Amino acid sequence: MSAFFNMGGYAAYVWPSYAVTFAVVALNIIWARRLLERSRKEALQRLAMGGIEQ
Amino acid sequence: MSALTAARLVLARDLKLAFRKPSQLIQPLAFFAIVTTLFPLGVSPDLPRLKPMAAGVVWAAALLSSLLALEMLFRDDAQDGTLEQYALSGRSLTWLLAAKTAAHWLLTGLPLALMAPLAGMALGAPSSAIPGIVASVAVGTVTLSLIGSIGAGLTLGIRRSGALLSLLTLPLEIPVLIFGARATELAIDGAAYGVPLQLLGALAVLGLTLAPLAAAAAVRINLE
Amino acid sequence: MAWTWFHRLASPPHIYRVAGRLTPWFAWPAALLIIAGLIGGLVLAPPDYQQGEGYRIVYVHAPSAWMSLMVYVTMAVAAGVGLIWRMKVAHAVAASCAPIGASFTFAALVTGSLYGKPMWGTFWVWDPRLTSELILLFLYLGYMGLRSALDDVQRADRVSAVLAVVGVVDVPIIHFSVIWWNSLHQAPSVMRLGEPTMPPSMYVPLLLMLLGFTLLFGALLLVRVRGEVLSRERSATWIREALQA
Repeated sequence: MSAFFNMGGYAAYVWPSYAVTFAVVALNIIWARRLLERSRKEALQRLAMGGIEQ
Repeated sequence: MSALTAARLVLARDLKLAFRKPSQLIQPLAFFAIVTTLFPLGVSPDLPRLKPMAAGVVWAAALLSSLLALEMLFRDDAQDGTLEQYALSGRSLTWLLAAKTAAHWLLTGLPLALMAPLAGMALGAPSSAIPGIVASVAVGTVTLSLIGSIGAGLTLGIRRSGALLSLLTLPLEIPVLIFGARATELAIDGAAYGVPLQLLGALAVLGLTLAPLAAAAAVRINLE
Repeated sequence: MAWTWFHRLASPPHIYRVAGRLTPWFAWPAALLIIAGLIGGLVLAPPDYQQGEGYRIVYVHAPSAWMSLMVYVTMAVAAGVGLIWRMKVAHAVAASCAPIGASFTFAALVTGSLYGKPMWGTFWVWDPRLTSELILLFLYLGYMGLRSALDDVQRADRVSAVLAVVGVVDVPIIHFSVIWWNSLHQAPSVMRLGEPTMPPSMYVPLLLMLLGFTLLFGALLLVRVRGEVLSRERSATWIREALQA
């Protein structure tokens, strides 16, 4: 098990690489969902204020 | 009036107007001289140490000076409405912008090409390198003006667009830098520089055919 | 018949609904493929003869690099479609691509650096691939900078579309010139980001990761496009129905 974490001595390079990549993945997921949420809220607001023509 | 005649008129106009303000013409050249001077000051006064990097320094300075000079390409005409008149004139905007870009090159690229050997020699290049330096910078700056015209067209409506213009334009110009610096470097070393010079020429031809189209598209969008 | 399909694709309410329904079909397979790839790459694949366990970085570096380029091309194609056919949805796709592509380009650069350090001793080498990735990052940043500098969304869409199309034409030229430049100044030790030659046990997980990340891009794009399409709607009866659904 510790051999796995040690990655043959390359641990200092392998694990940060995976960490950075999956941080970017997670960030993208959060970011995309937040964008959609914000757009929905804004669209509802614009509707409510009559800013959108029917 | 054919597109070519209109283009020639625009070219003549731009040249005439530019010579009314000679101080504006000198600025990019002065900038080139200053930037070139920074390198010996920052590195070493020792010519043998400078010579290996002379080509790179000349080209980096040329790229930056060319960027600076882009200010004058569309700004005045955009402000006084001339650009809009060009777009509405029924003449091909592509040709008119190509003419403006040609004027820009004659006013900045060509003088840079003539100054570049001086900068090169100040950094250790031999006088035998002069033809090669002039040729490579002259051809390369054609493409720099063309790519620059796209950047200038894209940022037409944006205030204080200097940094953004650089960010947009410089990455696109990297092939010019690579081939140009290589040609200049070979010229400085006294070797044959035909191959990179031809590559520079190919880029210029590609730029001539495509860049004015893109610039015209960008200008049209910004004038709407 | 085909034309109707194309026009329906261009309609924002249609896209909003369809994208919402399609998202899980991309998201879950993506997750499964990535997990399978991780197990295959980290656990099952054997160590390399030369690079030992260190080569396993490739399982995150290669997908990131692949994403950085694929997303840029997608962005440019969508931008071009938006310019030519004046499709709001296409511009929404292009806008959605940029942050995804830029962030994965960053990941590619970081993982590339971390891959290079144990192999050649320095965190940064001007090898053609890393250098190209760096320039690609600048291209993304320029695109996003141009968009954000313009307040009018429609103008931002169209201006940045021109930039994206110009960029995608220049990308192969940039890449070729960088490779050429690098070959001229080849250091005695071969300084290329070289992945080891791979037996199936090594490259199958890599393929799984590449496919998984591609599907992930699809899912992210679907979510983002919905948001972008919503924010571009000025007059829309469908919004009320869609949002209350």
